[in-house]
Amino acid sequence: MRHRQAPSGPAEALGGALTAEYAAVWAYGVIGVRLADAARTAARRAEAAHRSRRDALVLQLSAAGGTVPADKAGYTLPFPVTDTASALRLAVEVEERTAAFWRAALPHTTGEDRNRALAALTDCAVRATRWRRTAGVTPVTVAFPGRPT
Amino acid sequence: MVLTCPVARRRTTPHVRALGHSRRNLLRAGALLALGGAVAPLTGCDLLDRGDRQDQAPDPLEPLATQARELAARHRAALAADPGLAPLLTPIADAHEAHAAELAKLTGRPAASPGPSPAATTGGDRAAVLAALREAEQGGREAAAKLCAEAPVDRAALVGSIAAARATHVEALK
Repeated sequence: MRHRQAPSGPAEALGGALTAEYAAVWAYGVIGVRLADAARTAARRAEAAHRSRRDALVLQLSAAGGTVPADKAGYTLPFPVTDTASALRLAVEVEERTAAFWRAALPHTTGEDRNRALAALTDCAVRATRWRRTAGVTPVTVAFPGRPT
Repeated sequence: MVLTCPVARRRTTPHVRALGHSRRNLLRAGALLALGGAVAPLTGCDLLDRGDRQDQAPDPLEPLATQARELAARHRAALAADPGLAPLLTPIADAHEAHAAELAKLTGRPAASPGPSPAATTGGDRAAVLAALREAEQGGREAAAKLCAEAPVDRAALVGSIAAARATHVEALK
């Protein structure tokens, strides 16, 4: 899951969102084991949400008859995850990066597809805010969720 | 409208009424022909008029910009009354002002006029103040989401980010 150039069309935009969701599901596996109690529960819920988006995208892209990007066996972490603090930092990062892919899909979608992309962007942004609060990061919000910085 | 006016006027003129049918019809035909020749320039004027009206018509993003300024003003008023809320509310007020500035760039209209004075959300206890702000953010989120669904390609991403930001404000104010 890397920051990329703006997608050129709907298939590429939604394909990008799918690769982000694959990576998010994988990352939460790493994150969850470093967390306990409520934070671990939140990580499990977030993982389930990303799985759900992933499955919906696979179905949608398959039905459209285009290329469906494949999942990878593993992903490179942006930094080592060794404790609670680094796990929370990764959770924030995963949500911010996934939000960026969904935001990039907005101009390439219309109608229900766009509403779904906005719902996904919003969910990612809200989870990023929750993780920042759990991690004690301030401010807990950013002005333009998903916008490349 | 323009085409029918001169003909109608002739019809009600007593002098013309006194003329024979053939003369009147001829006059009408002449008037129509003359007007027909003027159709192209008239259409040109009409197009220009429409252009002017479009310039004066409110941009669909204007209400969103106004709302952003109003939300910023509400947060500023709340933190002025209760400075202890500053760490929470200042970034949110800043975000709304940044949204208004970005929207102004898209609409080409300066965000000059500040929003109307915020409603008295400053009274009451802190929980009530935050609940009122949360409700305002929720309304703002819904409005932005609706606009995002209808937004043209070059505006969808910004409006989507604003909708998502307002959702995070609801979360932050919990």
